[in-house]
Amino acid sequence: MTVDQIPAPAGATAPGRGGRAGGDRPRTSMTTRRHRAFYMFASPWIIGFLLLTIVPMAYALWLSLTTYDGISPHWRFIGLANYRELFADSVTWDALGRAGLFAVTSVPLSIVAGLGLAVLVNRPIRARGLFRTLLYLPAVVPPVGAGLAFKSLFDQNSGAANGVLNIFGIDALGWLADPYARYVLLMTVLWAAGNVMIISLAGLQDVPRELHEAARIDGAGAWRTFRSITVPLLSPVLLFQTVTGVIASVQTIMPLLLAAEPTTGGVTAIPQSNYMYMMHVFAEYFALGRYGYASALLWVLFVLILIVTGLIFKFTSGVVFYNVDPEAKK
Amino acid sequence: MTVTSDTAGSHATATRGGTATGRSVHRSKSPGAPARTRVRTGRLVLYTVLVVITGLFLGPFGWLILTGLKTSAETAAAPVRWLPGDFQWHNFADAFNLIDFLGYARNSLIIAFVYATLVTLSSAWVGYGFARLDAPGRKTLFGVLLGSMMLPQMITLLPTYLIFARLGMVDTYWPWVLWGLAATPYLVFLFRQFFAGLPRELEEAAIVDGCGYATIFWRIFLPQSWPVLSASFVIAFTWTWGDYIAPQLLLSTDRSTLAVAVMSTYVTTAGTPVTNLQAAASVMYVVPILLIFLVAQRGFVAGMSTSGLK
Repeated sequence: MTVDQIPAPAGATAPGRGGRAGGDRPRTSMTTRRHRAFYMFASPWIIGFLLLTIVPMAYALWLSLTTYDGISPHWRFIGLANYRELFADSVTWDALGRAGLFAVTSVPLSIVAGLGLAVLVNRPIRARGLFRTLLYLPAVVPPVGAGLAFKSLFDQNSGAANGVLNIFGIDALGWLADPYARYVLLMTVLWAAGNVMIISLAGLQDVPRELHEAARIDGAGAWRTFRSITVPLLSPVLLFQTVTGVIASVQTIMPLLLAAEPTTGGVTAIPQSNYMYMMHVFAEYFALGRYGYASALLWVLFVLILIVTGLIFKFTSGVVFYNVDPEAKK
Repeated sequence: MTVTSDTAGSHATATRGGTATGRSVHRSKSPGAPARTRVRTGRLVLYTVLVVITGLFLGPFGWLILTGLKTSAETAAAPVRWLPGDFQWHNFADAFNLIDFLGYARNSLIIAFVYATLVTLSSAWVGYGFARLDAPGRKTLFGVLLGSMMLPQMITLLPTYLIFARLGMVDTYWPWVLWGLAATPYLVFLFRQFFAGLPRELEEAAIVDGCGYATIFWRIFLPQSWPVLSASFVIAFTWTWGDYIAPQLLLSTDRSTLAVAVMSTYVTTAGTPVTNLQAAASVMYVVPILLIFLVAQRGFVAGMSTSGLK
């Protein structure tokens, strides 16, 4: 930091040693200073990104080609054998299928729910701020709190969910066990729809009032206005929500927190319907200690996410409407 | 709660003027009594829907509190006991004493505080560079920064854990220090947007005076950015306090955080969970975060929406 505070050591920084060409020289050194300063400011992130993201990813890529298990000293390079094994394993495909199903259900549902809530609390109503706060609050509850709350809510014996069913004379369901566990998982996602709400709300408030008025004068109803004005103007926000939602859904640890024994070692006890790809990675990583094989699983997931994100951007490029040039605000 | 006074006013008029006399000037186009009833029913439906949804959203947390107030027999009873027979307030004290609650809370607090402080400063530092300085490669780097926001952190966390284990940093708080120093794209973006919106003149005089950029950042820009600094701190603090998987991987149970302790230490020697005490403990674990959020709500929400939008 101190280097920068010394007022431009004459000649030392400028490569051109020749004659002092009037006002030319300070300008060049100013530019060089700015360039250097930029890298000085960017360096924490650049170094951190290299050491804490690129290096681990490269390390995982290397491990994925080995039999490394963290214990045995005789691990060795085996080429693509891990990848061949995982593609041949039906457990991988099932786990991937469940993760995909979870993504295509949870993401649209939470976006629709969040957008709906945003529209509701964007209306001129009493205690609007209070409603917004209360609806957003669950999104602030840490995953551990959410997991425990839903576990006790859907407990087979003493949970409120079965209590309600009991009132209607329906037998208690094993919510946290196999066919139903996925619905509980889905509800934990919907519970945090306040996230989408708050971001959509900011987008809704950016929609120019004149557009709504113009639409009303043209005789458009509420639904028509929403569909033809609000949604297109919100489309960048919705795209962002879709992409981040898919990525978040893939790496959710909620199935683990809802499990009977929520430790990274107990991951194998997760009900089948919640045994998604990430849980499979955890099982191979921690329960079985197969670091090499699990690293191959991680890399496959990484590449898949890149492809899916790319596809989402490609297929929405004609639909998403950018109101402002993001670089224009300078 | 700045309910647009116009609408509220005309609404009040409409309600008060039950007989057709109190019609306001604004409503010259109003088709008469049936339409007004329709508006009123509409509002009634709207409020009912809102209240029901809000109730559903608060339900799970309310149930957690109720569970924390029951006896263990009541938490195991089938069919459900909706309310505790006697409110077992001592459950909260018991949950506090059964494990070293204060110790775990202190660990959580240290990690969250260290990480939030460091990551806020480093992200502001990097964000300033992206907002106010230029150099060849800046645009590319910014693209990489935005792209890295979409990197699933769980994918990098597992190999990072192996590397930290090899470096002997497991069971220390060093990983959080390193993560904090490295800045995080989300918050860098937040600061970049804020700094980019400040007027050019702000640093020009200082540059003419020969101040270095570090001085300009520290003396001129940082003091301007209290709202963003506090929003960033609160967001980062909330993440770390809520994080379960990193401390579960990197720390042994004794040195771990409250999140891990609440999840895994409330068990009998036989291994069955002590549901009521665990619920009480998780309430005590969640409430501080909710309070911080309520206090810092404005900045927190603004920060969350900026990163999602522009």
